[in-house]
Amino acid sequence: MNDIISTMSIFWLLMVISFILIKRGLSIFNDVAKTMGMFMLEKALGPAIDFVQGKPGSASKTWILHGMIWAMVASILTFEGLWLSHDPTALHSLGSWGYSPDSQDLIYAGRFAALFGAVGMMVIGAGLHVIPSLSGTKLASESNATLVSLLWTFSVLILVIGAHSKEILGINFIMLGTVLQTLAMMAIILNQLLTISNATRPMAIPGWLIIFGLIGDPAAVLSVILSGAYETGVGQWLVYHMIGGTFFFCGVAGVSLYASSMGSGNPLWSRTLVGVTLFGAIIAINPMGETDMSMAVDMLGLEASEIAASSQDHISGSFLMALAAIPIIAFSSNLLVTLRGNGAFVGNSDSPGIAEMNMGAWMLIPIAIGSLFVQTDALGGAGELSGIAQSLDLLALWAVLIPLSLGASLYVLPQASGRKVMSSNRSRAAFWLMSGGAVAGLTFTIMADLNDMALAEALAENSSSITDELRTLGSVVFYGTVLGSIFHCTNVISGQFRGEMIDDEMQSSTTLTPQTYELANSATVRKIMAGGATLDTEIVPVTQSEEAGSATEL
Amino acid sequence: MSDEGSGQITEFIQGEKEPESSYVVIMIGVVSMLSFLVLYGVLYPGRDMPVVSELLPMFEGVFDSGIWFFLLGAMLGVFAIVATMLAEATSE
Repeated sequence: MNDIISTMSIFWLLMVISFILIKRGLSIFNDVAKTMGMFMLEKALGPAIDFVQGKPGSASKTWILHGMIWAMVASILTFEGLWLSHDPTALHSLGSWGYSPDSQDLIYAGRFAALFGAVGMMVIGAGLHVIPSLSGTKLASESNATLVSLLWTFSVLILVIGAHSKEILGINFIMLGTVLQTLAMMAIILNQLLTISNATRPMAIPGWLIIFGLIGDPAAVLSVILSGAYETGVGQWLVYHMIGGTFFFCGVAGVSLYASSMGSGNPLWSRTLVGVTLFGAIIAINPMGETDMSMAVDMLGLEASEIAASSQDHISGSFLMALAAIPIIAFSSNLLVTLRGNGAFVGNSDSPGIAEMNMGAWMLIPIAIGSLFVQTDALGGAGELSGIAQSLDLLALWAVLIPLSLGASLYVLPQASGRKVMSSNRSRAAFWLMSGGAVAGLTFTIMADLNDMALAEALAENSSSITDELRTLGSVVFYGTVLGSIFHCTNVISGQFRGEMIDDEMQSSTTLTPQTYELANSATVRKIMAGGATLDTEIVPVTQSEEAGSATEL
Repeated sequence: MSDEGSGQITEFIQGEKEPESSYVVIMIGVVSMLSFLVLYGVLYPGRDMPVVSELLPMFEGVFDSGIWFFLLGAMLGVFAIVATMLAEATSE
């Protein structure tokens, strides 16, 4: 039985049905569904909804700030995990408090904090600004989205605790965290769908990337349950990568494409490539991630199975993973060319976040190609490259997903809150620390992994001292990421209170939708550009009447 | 000069920006502290530091890995974030 094709077919069908329902609505049930939806988001919550403000932009701001704090927590947990990989007893003194984690526990907890806390919250937060902005409307319920951020943060906290000890007092913490997160996710999806239903103009494709990223998460789980593949190792591996390819990849792509255009002031380079990114992300299997799918298994409360792929599964899985190169290259190239549209680039101090997005787009292709080899090897059952899978997954997380989501958030946050970050210089320093620490630190760790693999292959009895030295170096250098995330947090938090106010013109401008510029007289290109026009702006000549004017009749 | 003292400051005021020289004063303080510590070692070689030498043994077996230096830095960072939030929220 081919688990991959059957599950993917159901997934594609679910996505097509979702798209049709979003575009066509529910016919005569539209009004009832909308009213019920709004009731569920606000009135049904009773007094709880009054705890938060419904100020425009407050939801986006809250989600992004939570995401940034989770990025800092994730970096500390990952740093500890990397350190304990060469010094397992470094934290033994905490055992007297009942806390004695090992390297794997900390890295696992760090992955939860980074994926669902940092990337998830920053993508959802930026999406709460991007979708209404592209739809020309307001978010359906700011209050609900703000309130739900607390639920999501709580769920991530439970997942991080569950990563250390899955069962506490007879309660499966990871399952509990997943249930709470699903509730929050459903509220966000409903909120965004209601927002689109009030759209005053057709939404640009980056918005659809965000929407399909949100819908793709439950659709992936549903499709693997409907196909019955959830009990097999291949099905569990597949659902892990489907969520990675939709919620994380589509979400990150949507917000970063929007922010790259708005932040740099250049029109999005190619609409076709955005479409290819969206279509390809849904059709293909994203190869980035771990070969060990225990995260998906634990979150869905399944019994872990070994990957025992049939030859059909191996061929179809490898083909669909290779197919993911198309959306990945399309997205990366589109983002990079959009950023380079004019002089606004890494040195543009007015646009913090551009540098992060630039780095994420650069690192995406090599890491995706590396992941493709590792995943194809794992799916084939050889497992020869599984030694570097964890470090490569961390590299994908810290050199691609977090920079892209953080870069987009650094652009969106000032738009949502009305205040810039406190210091562009500190933002740039934090970027260098974070990116340098992640790339160099994890590269040293991969070198140590490769050394271990070579020794294992040579059946060496004694481990090499150079492995420990490389792991020590890797963990120490990764500390730059911890420092960078702390700098970003203090910079952003201070900016919310004392940062420079952004002007109204900046808030309302958009380069994604070509505007029109009415030209009544001859004018220089400089004058037209100074009027807010971009290269995609349509110049409309306005004819003038030659008739003599007369008094206005009252 | 006016007898009324119109130039006098009648209420407490403070500048918005920190003068460069104030950081010099802090640095002089830090360098002096380190110098006195070195001087103590020179004047009383082999003798433990008062108070500090009695406190440090309490942490034996606790901070016995290099990771704690880094974690202390991270803790300072976390406290800096909390302090920033409190200070910004309560400042005028």
